[in-house]
Amino acid sequence: MKLHADSLIRTYGPLNALDSLTLAVEAGVLVLIGPSGGGKSTFLRLCGGLDQATSGSLRINDTTLGQDPATLQAWRRRNGFLFQQFNLFPHLTALRNITLPLEKVHGQNPAAALETARRCLDRFGLLAHADKLPAQLSGGQQQRAGLARAIAPGPEILLLDEPTSALDPEMTAEVLELIQELAAAGQHIILSTHEMGFARAVADQVALIAAGKILESGPPAAVFGAPREELTQRFLAKVMRFA
Amino acid sequence: MSRRHVWELLSALVLTAVVCVGFWTIFSGLNLTRSHEALWRYRESLYKGWIGSLVVSVGGLIGSCLVAAILVAGQRAPLKSIRWFTQGLVEIVRGMPLLSLILIGYYVVLNDPTVTRVLNSVGLGGRLFGGIMLLSVFTGAYLTEILRGGIESIPQAQLDSARAVGFSRWQVLRYVVFPQALRRVLPALAGQFVSLVKDSSLLSVISISEFTYEIRAFYAATYLGVEAFLPLAFGYLVLTLPIAGFSHWLERRFQAATAS
Repeated sequence: MKLHADSLIRTYGPLNALDSLTLAVEAGVLVLIGPSGGGKSTFLRLCGGLDQATSGSLRINDTTLGQDPATLQAWRRRNGFLFQQFNLFPHLTALRNITLPLEKVHGQNPAAALETARRCLDRFGLLAHADKLPAQLSGGQQQRAGLARAIAPGPEILLLDEPTSALDPEMTAEVLELIQELAAAGQHIILSTHEMGFARAVADQVALIAAGKILESGPPAAVFGAPREELTQRFLAKVMRFA
Repeated sequence: MSRRHVWELLSALVLTAVVCVGFWTIFSGLNLTRSHEALWRYRESLYKGWIGSLVVSVGGLIGSCLVAAILVAGQRAPLKSIRWFTQGLVEIVRGMPLLSLILIGYYVVLNDPTVTRVLNSVGLGGRLFGGIMLLSVFTGAYLTEILRGGIESIPQAQLDSARAVGFSRWQVLRYVVFPQALRRVLPALAGQFVSLVKDSSLLSVISISEFTYEIRAFYAATYLGVEAFLPLAFGYLVLTLPIAGFSHWLERRFQAATAS
């Protein structure tokens, strides 16, 4: 996966969520770290085609993610996205949450969609919960079902925005394990996280985003082991204190 | 039978008895024998009127849903001018007494030769269709605001998730927003439909042969007192209670899905 971002700016009113962010990387798994409010989510939303930059350019593989709604929708259909929480549609069962997009977005017939959905749920140990509504699942199960929905159509890239930030440590471990499995199986992933140990273990490339800019980027051994920037050192010292 | 059950049964019996005695005391002053005879004599015109109310209510129910669908779309139109126009229309209709809407709508707007010609040419002319249309516009404006409240209550996270799985704008509404919004506003919608049935009684002012109109004629012809209005209340309850019952059934049916 090749990602090329050039002077990306995204403003919300007076706020510059992204302030001329530039990044060029090639990686299987790209992990975004950094303080809350630094621009990780905004950058991920742009990468996922869910939002448009105010200015600057963003290209991932062969697709330029600009302003054209049709291109962005086609891009969203090719990739999977998981938010921190509330991913599932509360009026549909776990199974239907997966089959509905397969049928309506990817044109699978109901039998094929059912087969795919059951296989994905089984893979994530959720087959017994297939007919439950999201409210009847634990937070960890909800995220795993959300992950199952995201990978069901076979996405080119999986984008995960702090997928475990709303979970307790046990559920966090459940979800991280699955993500690691997917990464090991060759799934291309861009994810943001506060789990530094996980970031280090799973990433090919790490980028630290703060104040809407890339502070430092490179392989995890370099960023975590020998950070060049003073701000990176300070951030890592703070978040690793109790790790 | 447990102690609890015994108390439940006992209290139910006592309440029923109190209500019966109360009603008996209050209504025993009425001469119901005479009104029964009169009712029997006028049964055909009253039945015709009740059927008229049923037709107007069903027509209004369908019509108001169509009007609401158009107005909800208007509220979400890409052009600002259309959004403002729609909201203005909704506010004016909601702020007007139904009586004046019916009188002005019927004797001024629908009486206009051009409007009459257009409506006649599409087969929607005449008193009955006019009444149904006016009732539909009135109720449609209320439904529009109820639906808008429901749609706007769906959190942004749901819209994001729906877009993220690749749904188009229309699919987001069709599969994610509408099902959840409708379940939330179901009690309010049912209340509005009950109101619609009762509001249809005002169409008697433009001489549509519906239940209230026929009851008035019955009242005038028989010199009955207030006894004439007991069947009026009963006739409307037969129409409105099933709506309330159906709505409660739907609420129970979709309870689990709205829980989260």
